[in-house]
Amino acid sequence: MQDDSTLISRLQQRDEQALSALYDKYSGAIYGVILKMTKDETRAKDLLQETFITVWEKSYQYDPKKGRFYTWVYRIAKNKVLNFLRKPVKLIQTDDFSVYKQKEAPISFEAEHLELKGALTTLKEHHKTAIEMVYFKGLTHREAHEEMGVPLGTFKSYVRQALKELRASYGKMMLLIMFLIIYGI
Amino acid sequence: MKMMDKKKIIEDGILEQYILGELHPSDERYIEQLLASDPELKQHFDTLEADFETLGLENAVVPPPMVKNELLSRATALKSEGVKQPTASKASRFKFYFAVAASFSALFLATSIWLYSQLNKLESDVKMVETEKQDLKKELNQLSESYDTTAKLYATLSHPDTKQYVLEGNTLMPQGKVISFVNHDLKSVVINTERLPELDEAHNYQMWADVEGEMIDMGVIDTSQSLVAMNYIDASESLNITIEPRGGSEHPTVERLVTNVYL
Repeated sequence: MQDDSTLISRLQQRDEQALSALYDKYSGAIYGVILKMTKDETRAKDLLQETFITVWEKSYQYDPKKGRFYTWVYRIAKNKVLNFLRKPVKLIQTDDFSVYKQKEAPISFEAEHLELKGALTTLKEHHKTAIEMVYFKGLTHREAHEEMGVPLGTFKSYVRQALKELRASYGKMMLLIMFLIIYGI
Repeated sequence: MKMMDKKKIIEDGILEQYILGELHPSDERYIEQLLASDPELKQHFDTLEADFETLGLENAVVPPPMVKNELLSRATALKSEGVKQPTASKASRFKFYFAVAASFSALFLATSIWLYSQLNKLESDVKMVETEKQDLKKELNQLSESYDTTAKLYATLSHPDTKQYVLEGNTLMPQGKVISFVNHDLKSVVINTERLPELDEAHNYQMWADVEGEMIDMGVIDTSQSLVAMNYIDASESLNITIEPRGGSEHPTVERLVTNVYL
């Protein structure tokens, strides 16, 4: 992972090129999360743009001592999506006083966006589901354990276990990459 | 959040919830303090964060290029609007607000001092005006008094029945004389003192009326005025002037009679 600190301090100086570079680096991951949460491409594009506008406008609030830049952006995106999803459905009253759900453009969405990739796919099903719920669906631990129908403590251990396995998997990957770098040529 | 030991924080998935933004802001601050003071916990946290990030990057979906284009043009527009001061850290913003507040205080202080000095000046002006007013009033009183006197003198002098008597000086006052104007209707006597020789500081001229052999005081003559009104005495047979000790006497010093005239 390349060091972002120079790019971030340039972003905090309102440098558009830094914004562009950080967008290139993180927009894919953030867009993946937003898509999985909204299941709506049109909304997801808007929310992705709004997320990075907030990043641009509030960059001075980011404190590297408190955590990674990606985590900060992830949390902005998640808040924007949750606020969007919590908005009440717009209702329209018609002439005969009956109420309908407002017609909106048909939701376009490709199922493949929901597919999980990478090391996550190698996990046991319940571990994968636990991560998916808290990370890609924006549920809290409390909401998620109810959704899965397991006690909160059990759910927490699922998450911890899942992350442990991911770690092991990433560790192997790093070893492989280093091996290739050292002996590859 | 209650005080928790490290093990409990790790087992309870508190750090995961922190990263995912599920904690209450006050709990977040508590965790931030813990992380700042516990390098081992921080290392565990860093690993978790890195894993979450890798997880996200592995599941990335490339967004349409349009999003980036719009984002960058909006960012440029927002920057040129200068809506926010993004580079201002909390400390420098505090300094800025402090500077603004301090400037206002200084301005307020300066204004207060200025107003206070203005108030003092106004007070002294008011006092000065008051004094001037008193002086003018005094002057006006003197003027109107002097006018009254002059008007009375003039009334006597201009009256058709006023008679004029000249008191020539005798051997004690060969050069001197006094012109007197007597009006029995107005019951007034006015004399011209211009020709009375000056006396020393210790003496005055005093005028007397002779009524059936008795000398009655008509007043001390004020030689600083050229026309002086004297007391009118009824049934006066003659007017007499003597030199008396300063302030006048009850009875005339006959030896020092300088002039007289029969009416």
